[in-house]
Parts: sequence; C-alpha cells; structure tokens
Amino acid sequence: MPDWQKLVCRHLHLPLDAPPEIHAELAAHLEDAYESMLRKGINNSEAAKRTLGLAQDWQDLQRKITLVRSRKDTMTNRVTQLWLPGLATFLLSTGILALLQISGLKAWILTNDGDLPISVLYVWWLILLPLVGAIGAYLSWRAGGSQRVILLSIVFPVLPFLASILVVLPVSLILDKFIAHNTSPMSLILALFGWVLAPAAPLLAGGLITQRFLSRRSSLDGVAGR
Amino acid sequence: MIGSGIKRGTAELAVLSVLQHGPLHGYELARRIEQQTNGALRFTLAALYPMLYRMEQQRWIRGSWETGANGRRRRCYRLSPAGKKKLSPLRREWAELFRALRRLTKVAHA
Repeated sequence: MPDWQKLVCRHLHLPLDAPPEIHAELAAHLEDAYESMLRKGINNSEAAKRTLGLAQDWQDLQRKITLVRSRKDTMTNRVTQLWLPGLATFLLSTGILALLQISGLKAWILTNDGDLPISVLYVWWLILLPLVGAIGAYLSWRAGGSQRVILLSIVFPVLPFLASILVVLPVSLILDKFIAHNTSPMSLILALFGWVLAPAAPLLAGGLITQRFLSRRSSLDGVAGR
Repeated sequence: MIGSGIKRGTAELAVLSVLQHGPLHGYELARRIEQQTNGALRFTLAALYPMLYRMEQQRWIRGSWETGANGRRRRCYRLSPAGKKKLSPLRREWAELFRALRRLTKVAHA
C-alpha cells in the first residue's frame, strides 16, 4: 500500500506554521478512498492511480488551504498580538491609577494662570507604568507581534486619552460654547503632556527594554539551538 | 452533471445536511454526499477540505480527532449549534431558488 502520508507531504507544501494534522487528515482520506476501491475489486495500481486522481491539482489545494488559514490567522493574530495585550495594559494602567486615587496619595497638579487645575500627575502611577509597558510588550511579543504591533500594545493605555484630547476636546470647543473656560490651547498642550506624553514615556521605557531583552534572548536561543 | 458554480453554492448545504445525522470524517462525508445525490455532487480534496476548514472557522461545524473501532485516527466533523441554526434558513433559501427556477422554466416552456 502506498505511504499516503509521505505522498501528501511531498505534494502539499503548506506554510511552516500549518498544523501537521492537515497532512494526516488528507492522507487518511486518500487511504480510505484507496481501500474502498480495493474492496470493490479494483487492482492495486489502478486504485492508487484513481486515488491520486482525487487530489487532481495539488497546487490548487495548497493555495485554497493557505488562503483559508491566512484568513483565520489574520483574525487570531490581531486579537492575540494587539487587542489582548492592549486591553491588559489599559486595565492594569487604569486599575493602578484608580487604586492610587482611592488610597489618597497626593498628585502633582498642573495649573494655569488662574490656578485652575489642567492636568494631574500621579508620580507613583508614572513610576509603576514601566511595569505595565513591560507586560504589554511581553504579551504581544509572546503572540508573535511585529515591532509596530508591540509598540501599539505598549502605549495602548494612553491612546484613549490621546483620542479624547485631539478629537473630543477640540470638537467640544467648537460646538459647545459653555465649555469650561480653562480649555485654552495651552491647557490642551498641558493635558496632552499630563495624560499622554508623561505616561507614554515610562510605558515605552519599560516596554522597549523588555522587548529588546526578549528579542536578544530569543536570538541567543536560536544561536544556541543551531 | 451539475456545473461548478451551483455545486459551490450547494456544497455547504450538503455538508450541513449530512452532518445533521451524526459526525463523520472527511472521506465518509464526501462518500455519503456523492451517494445521496446519485453522483451529482462529487468532491475533490481541493473542494472538500478548504470548505470544511472554512465552515469550521465560521463555527458551523467542529472537527476533532477520534479513534475508530479499527484503531485508526480520523478527524470527525460534527454540526455545531450555530451550524444547526444556519441549516434551516439555508434550506429555505435554496428551496425558494428551486421553486423560482421551476416557475421560470415552466413559463419558458409555455
């Protein structure tokens, strides 16, 4: 009897990350078809020829399976490489901030000329953020995220603030004439500093150091494994 | 023989309909469909497996490796709750299409 597994592996070149079960499943199909033909009284060589005919076009099969799998991978990758690490860093960051606020730790408050608060800096929050960035980088890196995706996962907690400062506040300034009088261009810049730039810096510091460490370690493992 | 375009459209309905009666592995699934359609629907590997993988992604069917009575491992597919839900509207759509085509051909003959 032909070795169907070997035959399928020889003809069907799937991407390296494709599960080996695909080859096994197709080989099992051919084996069942071959045996069914033998039971019908067809001789060995004719049965083998007809069984191979079931595959018809290996390249077409390869292309279709790769296409179906790539759709799945794109979806899965986006979730595991970006959304889950991003959500984790966002929840951790806001959770830490909430705990610090509840615990009553004093914040450094930026004010404008009229002593109105514009931005609040929680120093302990900023001190802890490198750890959050590191966790984001690790989760995204572990899922195989690219440099760009890892970067996005690291700074994910500040993205909602960035969006609200760049979009929501300017739109409110234009549309709402009763908007708080301290929302001047200067206060927008300070808010951008307090809620985006200041937290982004420690997030990036922790995240990028972690990413560099992990990349170096994996490349060393690769060298050692050779 | 039925043309390839129609086959593609009916293939999903055929798979769901056959799996409704119990789990089957790929070869047996293709054999049953061929048998029950008197050979009108016949699958090549390139037609069957990409479709099964796609239907699995859509969560209409679920595949799992099982060991049969002969000790051989086969990947068996079974209908998921989502697949069961999908089956009745799909049947309705195809029944409507066939009724419409029948009416059309009758008018054309008359």
